[in-house]
Amino acid sequence: MIDKRCSLQEAVQMIQDNDMITFSGFVIWRRPMAAIYEMLRQEKKGLHLVEVNSGTHAELLIGAGAVSIWESCWIGHELYGKVPYCLDRKMRERSVIVEDYSHQHMLYRIAAGAMGIPYLPTWASRGTDILNPEYDMLEKMGLRNGANDRIPVKKFDFAQDPFYNEGEIIHVPAVRPHVCIVHAQQVGEEGTIRITGQTYSDEQAIKASDQVIVLAEEIVPESYLREEPERNLIPGYLVDAIVELPWGAHPTGAYGYYDVDGPFIREISAASKTDEKFANWMDEWVYGVKNHEEYLNKLGVSRLEKLRANSYRKYSTKVKRGTR
Amino acid sequence: MTDKQYAKPGEYSIVDMLAVASAREVKDEEVVFAGTGLPMLAIMLAQQLNAPNSKLIYEAGTIDSKGDSLPSSVGDPRCVTKASVASGLFDVFNQLQRGKVDLAYLGGAEIDKYGNVNTTVAGDYFIPTVRFPGSGGNPDINSLARRTVFIMVQEKRRFKEQVDYITSPGWMVRKWPEGTLVHRREAYGAKFRGGPSAVITNMAVFRFNEEMGTMYVDTLHPGVTREQLQENTGFTLDFSQCRGETEPPTYGELHILHDIVDPEGIFLPSVK
Repeated sequence: MIDKRCSLQEAVQMIQDNDMITFSGFVIWRRPMAAIYEMLRQEKKGLHLVEVNSGTHAELLIGAGAVSIWESCWIGHELYGKVPYCLDRKMRERSVIVEDYSHQHMLYRIAAGAMGIPYLPTWASRGTDILNPEYDMLEKMGLRNGANDRIPVKKFDFAQDPFYNEGEIIHVPAVRPHVCIVHAQQVGEEGTIRITGQTYSDEQAIKASDQVIVLAEEIVPESYLREEPERNLIPGYLVDAIVELPWGAHPTGAYGYYDVDGPFIREISAASKTDEKFANWMDEWVYGVKNHEEYLNKLGVSRLEKLRANSYRKYSTKVKRGTR
Repeated sequence: MTDKQYAKPGEYSIVDMLAVASAREVKDEEVVFAGTGLPMLAIMLAQQLNAPNSKLIYEAGTIDSKGDSLPSSVGDPRCVTKASVASGLFDVFNQLQRGKVDLAYLGGAEIDKYGNVNTTVAGDYFIPTVRFPGSGGNPDINSLARRTVFIMVQEKRRFKEQVDYITSPGWMVRKWPEGTLVHRREAYGAKFRGGPSAVITNMAVFRFNEEMGTMYVDTLHPGVTREQLQENTGFTLDFSQCRGETEPPTYGELHILHDIVDPEGIFLPSVK
């Protein structure tokens, strides 16, 4: 058996500059944040992010200048910050190419990748400017010439339904990432992944990618996961690296383990309004700490304990969420 | 004061009005698709009142949950509590495309008189004045559900003759590759299912003349005049089918909203 367990630093070293990357999670839930911080400390560059939807994790990578292409449908911090200030700024500076698809388009692109086929057909989002051929940014930048085997030669294609005659259908190209970085609740020693609660688009993201890095709240015996195989999502042979990292998704939330740290995300959103404030925040929370342990110590026990989920309810009953 | 009595101006906030007006759009037994925010308040209120058997699908992949703590996001563990199924995006977006969704609530930064919505960029696409978060599932839901209801802020700059970028399709949409504006029925052909049915703002409720593909004023919220509404709209309003005043919230609805649906004040302002 290959031992896939490694340190966070080693796992993140698997990611090369200019790689195409995707992630587990949904907006501000179950994002592999500890790996994002480590990617920033290792100064990854030129990343090509492809995501069903995006959030706090990508704002950090984009703000730090690690990203050159972003293909997705949405970016923000939900309740804790509606404007993607980093993407907005980098787009204007023309240092990031933004390719807009819809949610369903991105989902089907990743599903096509996972299924090993070149595209999937869909009826979603007909009649919109998402399909405007003038707004094909990778084409505009001359990147759809086939030189990069991860970039399809077209943004969309259209075809008549050949079987039921129901009209013109959209074809969306498969996504084939180099690496998927996952945050999971539990992973076995051989890599079997168990995700509890919503699985979002994790199955498709993992299966579409060449390599898979898993940060897990807990590494557990494979024999334990095999007692209830129907609760497992991914077999171990699809996983390349395993890192046990409690609180590894903070400040995003993880079902059954901890809630979203709303005030922390709100601080990131506020800091991201200017380059200077963003750099200060990064110095304090990313470059100023050596590793995940230092990050957790800096957060402190009482902050983390407030976020900890109730084992029956699967969310925290101690966190103050509203104005009352 | 009884539960059925209407609250007086000053006794409710504009968010209360939005939530209540939105909740009234749900019919019993409908399958409703919801994203984060006010839509959650609207559907949870409807389930307590006019549509107890409606089924709710949260965009991140939970179906018909029966939680007792309001989720702050569709990805929240609170969406999973006592759900019929907790799955993922692939399941719920496939169901949407399959035609299983009756109604969905959506929002947007800008809307035009055809119900086309922009949540992508303000100004030129290549050199935008503002980058918004992007489409999310808005255009997918709006093109595949039978009916959609938009909850929006009424401002002149947001209610435009024509939006800068059609993120989400209304009644007159683009036909590619030419980009000509055509009626949604023509663009969607055999797969036409319906479209935007109402726009609910802080000032009024709008509906659509489906044949013309244009918006008209259905009701004005209490205290709002036609002149005020026109001043906050970037195109000439059609009042020809205006039915008068929007029903204000009742004391019973306000009680459910503030004491049962959102007692923590996550989406509702604390001042009633």
